[in-house]
Amino acid sequence: MKKAILYINQFFAGIGGEDKADYTPEIRAELVGPAMLLNQLLDAEVTHTIICGDNYMGSNEEEAVKTILGFLADIEFDIFIAGPAFQAGRYGNACGVIGKAVKEKFNVPVVSSMNPENPGVDMFKKDIYIFPGGKSAAKMRTDMKQIAEFANKILRGERLGSASDEGYYVRGIRHMVWREDEQPASERAMAMLLKKLKGEEFVSELPIPKIDRVPVAAPVADLSKATIALVTSGGIVPVDNPDRIQSASATRWGRYNIEGVDKLGNREEGQFKTIHAGYDPAAADTNPNRVVPLDALRAYEKEGRIGKIHEYFYTTVGTGTTEAEAARMGKEMVEYLHNEGVDAVILTST
Amino acid sequence: MRLEMGNFPVKDVIFGDKSVYQDGILTINKEEALAVVREDEHITDADIVIARPGEKKRIVPVKEAIEPRYKVDGGSNFPGVIDKVERVGEGLTYALKGCSVLAVGKHWGSFGDGLIDMSGEGANYSYFSKLINICLVADTDEEFERYEQQKKNRAIRWAAHRLAVYIGSIVRDLTPEQENQEVFELEPITRRSKAVNDLPSVVYVMQAQSQMEEIGYNDLVYGWDMNKFVPTFMHPNEILDGALISGSFMPCSSKWSTYDFQNAPMIRKLYQEHGKSINFLGVIMSNLNVQLEQKKRSAIFVAQMAKSLGADGAILTEEGYGNPDADFIECFVALEDVGVKTVGLTNECTGRDGQSQPLVTLDEKANAIVSTGNVSELIKLPPMETVIGELQALARDGLSGGWADDEKLGPSVKEDGSIILENNSMFCGDQIIGWSPKMMKEF
Amino acid sequence: MANLIPVAKTVGANRMVPTISIPYPLGDPSTPEKEQWKLRYHRVGVALTALETPIEEQTVFEVRI
Repeated sequence: MKKAILYINQFFAGIGGEDKADYTPEIRAELVGPAMLLNQLLDAEVTHTIICGDNYMGSNEEEAVKTILGFLADIEFDIFIAGPAFQAGRYGNACGVIGKAVKEKFNVPVVSSMNPENPGVDMFKKDIYIFPGGKSAAKMRTDMKQIAEFANKILRGERLGSASDEGYYVRGIRHMVWREDEQPASERAMAMLLKKLKGEEFVSELPIPKIDRVPVAAPVADLSKATIALVTSGGIVPVDNPDRIQSASATRWGRYNIEGVDKLGNREEGQFKTIHAGYDPAAADTNPNRVVPLDALRAYEKEGRIGKIHEYFYTTVGTGTTEAEAARMGKEMVEYLHNEGVDAVILTST
Repeated sequence: MRLEMGNFPVKDVIFGDKSVYQDGILTINKEEALAVVREDEHITDADIVIARPGEKKRIVPVKEAIEPRYKVDGGSNFPGVIDKVERVGEGLTYALKGCSVLAVGKHWGSFGDGLIDMSGEGANYSYFSKLINICLVADTDEEFERYEQQKKNRAIRWAAHRLAVYIGSIVRDLTPEQENQEVFELEPITRRSKAVNDLPSVVYVMQAQSQMEEIGYNDLVYGWDMNKFVPTFMHPNEILDGALISGSFMPCSSKWSTYDFQNAPMIRKLYQEHGKSINFLGVIMSNLNVQLEQKKRSAIFVAQMAKSLGADGAILTEEGYGNPDADFIECFVALEDVGVKTVGLTNECTGRDGQSQPLVTLDEKANAIVSTGNVSELIKLPPMETVIGELQALARDGLSGGWADDEKLGPSVKEDGSIILENNSMFCGDQIIGWSPKMMKEF
Repeated sequence: MANLIPVAKTVGANRMVPTISIPYPLGDPSTPEKEQWKLRYHRVGVALTALETPIEEQTVFEVRI
């Protein structure tokens, strides 16, 4: 039989309310509180219950996660359930924090349930499956049943439906599916336009997601003492592309030494070229400085406008490259830039 | 403008002594057909192979698809490309239905080329697995681009166009059955009846692929490279009748082949609704650009034309993803800003994990979109008994959805002939032209 | 530095300097070398100014050439 583990807070474990919210993590090889209900509903044995105070998780997150992951290190389990957390904000946060950590560490599915008003929903819906739940423990049976039904589907290895089919909160994960009615796009577009023209309600197949905001970086205090690096998504590489960076959907990046180089030599001279397949390469191949403006930046260095140019430029290809890969490569580059004392970056894109 | 189409349904294609169409069977004299192909001395090697739906065949690298056509009154079939420049979209055109001529590289592939499986799971990914494909498998002496990732593929593509007209000409002396005749006709915009004028007026805005600044890679309109083009008002019949020719640049699943233009299901749907629920004004043909100013300029032209024509609504579609999304959203917003209610028709790039932003630019005004697929969906397919073309092209030649090697996934082409690729390389796979039965869902 | 400012904005860039196109951000090959250099030198200079300018929100820095 497959095995499951349930995470609950101090209140549902019957330890106490607000006064016990600092309760430190504990694991019990038994069914505590709602674990009994879950055990009845699930096609798996709930072998352990993990209990942690909501405030403890809130104020000692790192410590709490470490302890709980430690508990689980030697235990075999197929699925992890957290909550239901109803409308309790700190409990929702705790279920999300531990759920995400367990999923990342042990690569097991994690299912939870929270009321739409629970702030944990927006914080963690991308990381774990969260079902919309009731406001209070009065809905324990309904919410746990929904969790268990979906968990059973996972345990049976069934093909899982979309967020709207299954009922969990959308996670921002979009995949291609074939419509059962096979209705062609032309008919869907026509129908949507007729509705829009008549002022009737319609459902866009691509809801516009909220745009990401990045915190504004402080300005460089004194450029004349600063080290500036050049980074590009324009695919400029040495002609033999030593790091075999892909020309589309890149997962690799490279950094190439430009110490003492006044300007980037071109493809014909056997120096640099672009491998980016998303734009006409002719202009970049003849003069790579059009994409990585080393020559111009060198002039400013000589004038003393900037302290110096960092010894390497960093490069990858930005066409078809996924956000996740781009973010990973960016973080990897930043590590080098930080370690080597770079103060600011000029990032050129194509 | 009135276009009559005489359709000849093709149930099978075989080779024989005489090129003839009878009882739905199309017989091709291969030598005669290859002589047409070899009219261009740059074709160094050529063969014709048939691939039927359900057969265990994989075709790659596919560069172009064309429906066999013949202008009965002797006019141009593909003006400015293999025929002289003259107006198309009126008169009588014969079409062989249910089949297409494919331009297939005997060895060499390029970025915009695609793959078609005629059976199995892979067949779901391309509209062309449903057609009987007359594959022109050829090699050329275009040495200047042999090892380039971007290829113009001119000799093979033009040869396929000649072959499509040769095959179309097989029915030149026949008369189509009554039930297989279609008429496409729109009255001039200012001469329409009150009943039609009272319906909401709609334009179809097409952003055709035109991002390469060097001539030879982009879609052509009457033979004109669309990089050097500003938006123009066109009659839908011109598009159905050979005025638009597919290019050789965009990742394949986002492309519109010439066959797609000839059969444009969105145009057919708009015709179907014309006089019933809408007043179909026509097509505003636009393009895709590589400078922000060019994108803005095109959007200005499109919105002005739509407004001046009195459009209440528009269907806007892009032949591409990534940078073209900026043209798409720019134009979407421009149309909405002049009061034209717009529905977009596009695919997405959400990454293999489905978590990337679906379009590279977004705007709240783009509130009505039909989505046809995810270019970067990862696809694994078992080996096929027969390969038409060369399977290694997928891995070796820089096709947009293939790769020579990958740390985690290995090469796209495995030793046993099984493959792993991104949807990007499925031949016109996202069917943005309007066929797509696919959509995107949140998981 | 990007030509498609709408894309840069959508992905959350804060200091933006426009470039002239996708395939040649900083030097149009159809213009004389001297002009290309002037443009590239100017726009990289604007990028340096951007780096030392305090901002509150996403800002596109104006270029003259």
